[in-house]
Amino acid sequence: MQSEKKIKFLDRLSLLRETQFGAFLPVLFALTAIWGYFGLILPIHDLISGEAENFRAIFLSPRNIYNLFMQSAVIAALAVGITVVLLLGEIDLSAAATAGVCAALLGVLVLAGVPGFIACLIVIFVGIIMGAAQGLLVAYVGIPSFVVTLAGLLGYQGLMQKILPTGNLNVGDPFVRSIARILIPDIWGLILALFVFALFLFTTLRKQFQRKSKGLELDNNWTVWFQILAFGLIVISAVLTLNAYRSLPLLLVLLIAFTAFLDWITRSTPYGRSIFAVGGNAESARRVGMKIKRIRVSAFAIVGLMAAIGGIFGASRYGSVSYTAFAGGSLLLEAIGAAVIGGTSLFGGRGSVWNAILGALVIGSLGNGLDLSGASAADKLMVSGAILLLAVAIDALSRNSVGGR
Amino acid sequence: MESKNDLVGHKVPPAHLIVRGIDKKFGGLQALKDADFEVARGEVMALVGDNGAGKSTLMKVLAGAYSADAGDFFLDGKRVSIKSPNDASALGIQIVYQDLALCENLDVAANLSLGKEPVKNGWRFLPYFLRPIDNLEMESKANKAIKRLQVRTLHSVRSKVSGLSGGQRQAIAIARAVGTESSVVMLDEPTAALGVAQTKQVLEVVKRLRDTNHAVVYISHNMQDIFEVSDRITVLRHGQNVSTFITSNTTPDEVVVAMTRGLDKNSVGSV
Ligand SMILES: Nc1ncnc2c1ncn2[C@@H]1O[C@H](COP(=O)(O)OP(=O)(O)OP(=O)(O)O)[C@@H](O)[C@H]1O
Ligand SMILES: [Mg+2]
Repeated sequence: MQSEKKIKFLDRLSLLRETQFGAFLPVLFALTAIWGYFGLILPIHDLISGEAENFRAIFLSPRNIYNLFMQSAVIAALAVGITVVLLLGEIDLSAAATAGVCAALLGVLVLAGVPGFIACLIVIFVGIIMGAAQGLLVAYVGIPSFVVTLAGLLGYQGLMQKILPTGNLNVGDPFVRSIARILIPDIWGLILALFVFALFLFTTLRKQFQRKSKGLELDNNWTVWFQILAFGLIVISAVLTLNAYRSLPLLLVLLIAFTAFLDWITRSTPYGRSIFAVGGNAESARRVGMKIKRIRVSAFAIVGLMAAIGGIFGASRYGSVSYTAFAGGSLLLEAIGAAVIGGTSLFGGRGSVWNAILGALVIGSLGNGLDLSGASAADKLMVSGAILLLAVAIDALSRNSVGGR
Repeated sequence: MESKNDLVGHKVPPAHLIVRGIDKKFGGLQALKDADFEVARGEVMALVGDNGAGKSTLMKVLAGAYSADAGDFFLDGKRVSIKSPNDASALGIQIVYQDLALCENLDVAANLSLGKEPVKNGWRFLPYFLRPIDNLEMESKANKAIKRLQVRTLHSVRSKVSGLSGGQRQAIAIARAVGTESSVVMLDEPTAALGVAQTKQVLEVVKRLRDTNHAVVYISHNMQDIFEVSDRITVLRHGQNVSTFITSNTTPDEVVVAMTRGLDKNSVGSV
């Protein structure tokens, strides 16, 4: 009887794998493993081996989770943008440098007395232009995106140094600072979570109902309810945890809102469909009359947009802009790593921006957990490298098994 | 216009698409020389010839992928001009390329609607490309297209193309060409890479196209398939017409001889 049950479970798992939620399973699994290791196994090990007097539940404490989310937010913003070009089968190495230029420009502008809100709009515009410029070179001149954005990386790094000769600038503007400082009152955060959950419930069930009335094949009931419950569990427990320490920060709400918007654009509109089509088979997209060049340019513009937003988030959270925090540091590799670990294919045509958020949490958790357990910077680099390699290997293997016939 | 096939002396249905005197040069190479071709609705016209005879070139000229150096095009007796793929598809002429060009990462329904996704009503304030796709409508359409062609082995229009067999992919590519308002469907060696069972499936689909009153152009090297599926056979040799046979009145041997040696003096199309 044991085996029968097991088969059923595997069947359900494979059904689930085919749903939209299924694409999240690997990265959710990785996240659970990391959290389990740093939150349970390591403290228990320390307790038993006598290294610690009592159970140290720092990692999974609401305070640390709050910090973890905030630390991952800048990575996540960039990773979401990079995901869009990855879907096209391109890459953007200049995202972190773009974010750096935007953050530096923001600092200089508010220092010169430009109102924070206007300054934010200006740098968002600049970010879009910086991205689109590279997109033009890729699409119309035909230079591989790897080369264009590598040149962009170098050039924008230099540009950031020009804007910030000292390499450091404090940002005290109240508007900019408020993005990271404003907290949604506990009760409103909860109401927001419940509202989002209700919306998800409603649209999912309505879709199922419409399928029925149109005589289309139905989604498996089990997977539908599983997705609804998992979604509700994640959203509500996240807000409750944040509330237990402080509250839901505005910055996270903005990040989620931008991601939701890009998710809608990429998965529900003809424009988004054309991104997936180009990533899957550019020749096919061309033959059905899609404007491939414009699509490429726009995707790079989206990376520029998200980089500028990442730059604003960073400036807001740290209250300062520094060269190492953006252009000169590990941000770029972390962001690309987050997108890939999230499950977006480097070969194009497969992935989603939500996966990038989860991938950013994986990267953020790794760094945070290793920091807490006193690992050296060298350890951190090596573990991150190994995880990234693992994610890309999974991507390559799944591509072979699906594509091979 | 009447068929100019005097070889068998049969009446054939009035042609839907007629081209006369097509010339096409690639540099110094004359790929098509004064070639004539026609196809009627509700018939499968096979296009045969040795390697390099100009079959694919003729098809691409009809699809507007190449523009002819000389020649006249008539659709239902009216002179038309085909200078670009857009011209051809506006006239309802669709080609299924040898390489199919499907998006493996998308599902069948998405592939069938690619580039002309149905969008939901009530979002007119947005430009078309930013309106929400009506996924359910897209699926219904796909289901209808699949049903019309009777692709029986396909379980769901929501399965990804990467998981389909070669024959199923060919059928999807055909369904995509037919799905857009089309009267002429041209297939370039659709069964070249397929096994027996899959070939049979594709031939069934080709027959369905004929039954739905399409004008079908079918390029193949396989005589058995051609004799199973076609109503007439046009033979090309060195870019020129040899003749057009009525399939039921000829034999594979006769066609092969025409392909390789041309015809004897008694035939009209001979050189
Ligand atoms: N784009 C091109 N540029 C130059 N020459 C071409 C081009 N396309 C075809 N040709 C030449 O034109 C001639 C006819 O080619 P075509 O592809 O039409 O032959 P075919 O009948 O389809 O042959 P096959 O049965 O091998 O597919 C050949 O000699 C070929 O080399
Ligand atoms: Mg050919």
